Amino acid sequence: MSEQTSSPDRPQAPQFSVATRSALVGKDGRTGTRGQSCRLPTGGLIERARSHSFTFDGRSYAGHPGDTLASALLANGVHLVGRSFKYHRPRGILTAGPEEPNALVELREGARREPNTRATTAELYNGLIARSQNRWPSLRFDLMAINSLLAPILSAGFYYKTFMWPSAFWEKVYEPLIRRAAGLGRAAGKADPDTYEKAHLHCDVLVIGGGAAGLMAALAAGRTGLRVVLTEQDFRLGGRLIADNRVLDDRRSVDWVAHMAGELAGLPNVRMLLRSTVFGVYDHGTYAALERVSDHIAVPPQYEPRQRLWHIHARRCVLAAGAIERPLVFGDNDRPGVMLAGAVRAYLNRYAVAPGRHAVVFSTSDETAATVADLARAGVGIAAVIDPRASVPHGIEAAARAAGARLIGGGVIIRALGRARVRAVEIRTATGAIERIACDLVCVCGGWTPSIHLASHLGGRPAWSDRLAAFLPAALPGGMAAAGAANGQLALADALAAGAEAGLEAAAQCGASGQPVAVPATDGESTFNAALWRVRAARGKAFVDLQNDVTDEDVALAGHEGFRAGEHLKRYTTLGMATDQGKTSNVTGLALMAEFTAKPIAQTGSTTFRPPYTPVAIGALAGGHRGKEFRPTRLAPSHNWACERGARFVEAGQWLRAQFYPQPGETDWLTSVKREVRTVRSRVGLCDVSTLGKIDVQGADAVEFFDRVYSASWKALPIGKARYGLMLREDGMVLDDGTVARLTAERYVVTTTTANAAKVLQHMEFCAQWLWPELDVQLASVTDAWAQFALAGPCARHLLHKVVDGQHDVSDAAFPYLAAGQVTVMGGLPARLFRISFSGELAYEIAAPAGYGEALWRHMMESGREFGVEPYGTEALGIMRIEKGHVAGNEINGHTTAADLGLGRMLSGAKDFVGRVMAQRPGLMAADRPRLVGLKPVDRQDCLRAGAHFIRAGAKPTGREDEGYMTSAAFSPTLDHWVGLGLLVHGPERHGEQVRAYDPVRGGDVAVEVCHPVFYDPTGERLRG
Amino acid sequence: MAELDHPFRSALAGAVTAGGQYGRRSACPGVVVSEIHAPGLAMVAARKGRRGDLIAAVRAGFGVDLPTTPRRATGQEIAFVWVGPDQWLALQHPAPKDGMEGLLAPLAGLASLVEVSHGRTLFALTGSRVREALAKGVPIDLHASAFGPGDAASTLVAHIPVNLWQVDDRPSYEFAIARSLAQSFWQWLTVAAAEYGVQFADG
Repeated sequence: MSEQTSSPDRPQAPQFSVATRSALVGKDGRTGTRGQSCRLPTGGLIERARSHSFTFDGRSYAGHPGDTLASALLANGVHLVGRSFKYHRPRGILTAGPEEPNALVELREGARREPNTRATTAELYNGLIARSQNRWPSLRFDLMAINSLLAPILSAGFYYKTFMWPSAFWEKVYEPLIRRAAGLGRAAGKADPDTYEKAHLHCDVLVIGGGAAGLMAALAAGRTGLRVVLTEQDFRLGGRLIADNRVLDDRRSVDWVAHMAGELAGLPNVRMLLRSTVFGVYDHGTYAALERVSDHIAVPPQYEPRQRLWHIHARRCVLAAGAIERPLVFGDNDRPGVMLAGAVRAYLNRYAVAPGRHAVVFSTSDETAATVADLARAGVGIAAVIDPRASVPHGIEAAARAAGARLIGGGVIIRALGRARVRAVEIRTATGAIERIACDLVCVCGGWTPSIHLASHLGGRPAWSDRLAAFLPAALPGGMAAAGAANGQLALADALAAGAEAGLEAAAQCGASGQPVAVPATDGESTFNAALWRVRAARGKAFVDLQNDVTDEDVALAGHEGFRAGEHLKRYTTLGMATDQGKTSNVTGLALMAEFTAKPIAQTGSTTFRPPYTPVAIGALAGGHRGKEFRPTRLAPSHNWACERGARFVEAGQWLRAQFYPQPGETDWLTSVKREVRTVRSRVGLCDVSTLGKIDVQGADAVEFFDRVYSASWKALPIGKARYGLMLREDGMVLDDGTVARLTAERYVVTTTTANAAKVLQHMEFCAQWLWPELDVQLASVTDAWAQFALAGPCARHLLHKVVDGQHDVSDAAFPYLAAGQVTVMGGLPARLFRISFSGELAYEIAAPAGYGEALWRHMMESGREFGVEPYGTEALGIMRIEKGHVAGNEINGHTTAADLGLGRMLSGAKDFVGRVMAQRPGLMAADRPRLVGLKPVDRQDCLRAGAHFIRAGAKPTGREDEGYMTSAAFSPTLDHWVGLGLLVHGPERHGEQVRAYDPVRGGDVAVEVCHPVFYDPTGERLRG
Repeated sequence: MAELDHPFRSALAGAVTAGGQYGRRSACPGVVVSEIHAPGLAMVAARKGRRGDLIAAVRAGFGVDLPTTPRRATGQEIAFVWVGPDQWLALQHPAPKDGMEGLLAPLAGLASLVEVSHGRTLFALTGSRVREALAKGVPIDLHASAFGPGDAASTLVAHIPVNLWQVDDRPSYEFAIARSLAQSFWQWLTVAAAEYGVQFADG
């Protein structure tokens, strides 16, 4: 132990372990407590027969199953485990639970490295690797500790004051500096190799916390036969009952817990979730819990997740989350070796670890008696018991006497001495005398703070209790009741009774009845606490919030500067932020502010608690939804064929669409896409358009319905015809465009864009169900039911003849542009045929039942070979629609009106429709709105980019001169230069004018000519061909 | 429907192997999945003001009392699943010769009928651990005390819209998934049930 032993601060190992060390070394040298110099010879809930080896900062140690990383480190005499956030002060282990502010480590290595893991909750496993963090170059010698010397300028609010100006410096200079100097652990920086999952759990009664109150509540509710879920964040049930030495009905408390666990395990309707923290409360009885399924082993077993996020849906909930002990505020109270008294008892009793050899107990609580007794039983010397009360209760006096410990009533610790480990305390006695007492462990207790966080997640404010000097749950979420220490019932007898009652009451509210559960008799205790918020005239830094390095002076500074409300105090000083969210410090901070303002704490108010109660990895929230599984993927009917053909795909919403189909020898996408466009323009191409939304509309009032949701009139649409339609939002902007085809007298099929399919159906359903429930109209999505393929190009009809069965006349005369009808294809397969065109060529769309889609596609590719058919993807589709000046998602972007898009003629003046009135607002009618134009580069070699802004030729390129922007741009293989669409102020009146397409982000500045948006076949001869 | 050169293609073709095992290997996989091949499916929505007539006509024509809560009601061959107010999903397996719209033609005028046989992929799920596996995606309570044979629900599983119903108390469930999302659902299911072992049985 080179680093440890070289320290002058390091105390001698307790003598008892010297004797036991040799006695316990097994024959193979691998069992027993070898090397664990501070492990007690007996007791504890550890498996002594087995050892786990682990490393901390590269050194090897041993511990046992049942240990946490913290208890195993303490068993090996390691107290210095980290450096503080801001001042890089040496820090040790303060607590034995999830509230730990100091002992944050990096756990595991490589891609599994996890920063800011609390050593006090990390369950030890064989091969565990941990490192201290926020130190450089080493934990013991940390150069960043120079921050301590800068303390005067690093006080509360320093971010705001020091780095205010110049503002540009914030991002580039100040923030990176601060992040390097003050910080926590390092993220892995690699993809997490483990999996996470989410699951739902439904129950009648959820009991949060498996301590005394929770166990009683679960048993009481469980015996009624209801579905009960009991969650416990620890890997063992029991809470304080396994940390303290108590007696219940003549059983030791650990045995009573085991007995209760057995009873609960025997109830099939009770489900116990260990290693599971309920971290959030949501509306309607929904709770989120994180189960650390595999955190206690090196690598999760195959098929099992690292962590599981539970959505628990409970009719009633009993909050039995216990309480968190408060440290005391005195000088240099952050030295390693200063520990919460309850944590010391947990290490002694549960883990059989002596965290020191010479202890000083400094406490304002009557529980000191138990601390003294436990220390004495473990053989830890007690140098002094310090109680600020002038008149020390008899219980403490008796315990001190029994332990042979010196009792100092009316005294306080003003300062802890030592750096890497406390080596003495300076005290001020009742008479004002200053005295120094050597010690290597300071057990502090400033009372207990009920864990009320979950009770206020839905906004309920807690209520201050003067008697307990703590906030208690008030205005709890619906269905929740608090019991035990979480409800201020700190005495064991009270917690047991309250738990039993709350469990039965929760069951009763679910309509179940049962017998009251007998409450066990307990040994006597006093939990009285005489709050002392800080030691006056302390020397050195007196920390309130250890994790954020917030001192009592910082709180006072916040008060001086007017940041006095709880929320302001938090923002100004960072008190209560970061991973521990002030679990050990919030109440003290508020109390000090109350003292500063000379107001009662009740008026200072509490900060509100929000989920999560303890840190939750983003991976757990994502569950399986990452990478390709981020969201579901929709596959089009020709997908399989496209894969075989080597297509490149693009995501269009949830759909995976073929973007282009490279042919052998084609190395860049533009070559492939140009070929696809030329194929369509000269021969015939096939495109899978199944992704477009398809809505079946039926009913006697369908036409009336269309008249109201679309901008144009539909009364004249004959059977067997389709027409292009425009739909507005209520606010007058364009929602979507598409076609409506009339198949029979009362049956229509509507198409939408791929992107807006769900939105359009939702809009139409809203209109049908809510705006005009009197209309007889029924809507059904049939997008997935039909495979739909576009065949486009001069040879499209030749191909069509080979696909559609002979009895159907699809000649130009019989089936003209915009015809729609039902046909059969491939020898009897019912299909739908539409003569519509997006490319501007002669084109059809054939729809067949989706299960036959691939067969139809293959058939068309086969039959079309003699015409030179090729598939084309979304890129070619996009180019051709720009060549034709068709607007799409880039233009129908929620900011454009019909008139902006040159579609103003599609607004009927003869009827009402959704969006008509709002479209007439002056702003939407203004003459100077940017409107649709076509654009071509003046120098035909220039490339255009969507996103470039239009600036009048000769004007300075500033925001003030902005006249609109390029919405779409593409290289046109047909015209052999780039073409673009854009929205330009007074655009339609400016054809022929030259403007700048200015793109400072990507360094573009191109002179473009404004023109009509239709670049190709402006009269539409080709699509009627 | 005439014989076709190219057969019907399941949305799962290429993604699953009949008899294939996924996840943990086990002699007794916890979840057994099969696809109900080429079923007949139709959306049935009552025309305005004709719900009563429709219910009477379905009872007379198919011997089924149309449910008015999230339930599935079965007749000789056909079943109706309530999927919303005045809306049902009609199923028959194997699909009728003239399609579902043909089979349901007697209801014309009382309901809008929309053939969606190819629009959904039907999964049948059972096995000793099927409830645990489904809990990883299905947000509703499938516990025997809350959801039993004949109960139906419309919900989201891993962001995928599903209609599901319980067939029997083994328990067995059927899930109707939009065809384009069938492989995503299968992907979710194999991951969710991996720890119990999944068998894809030949439907």
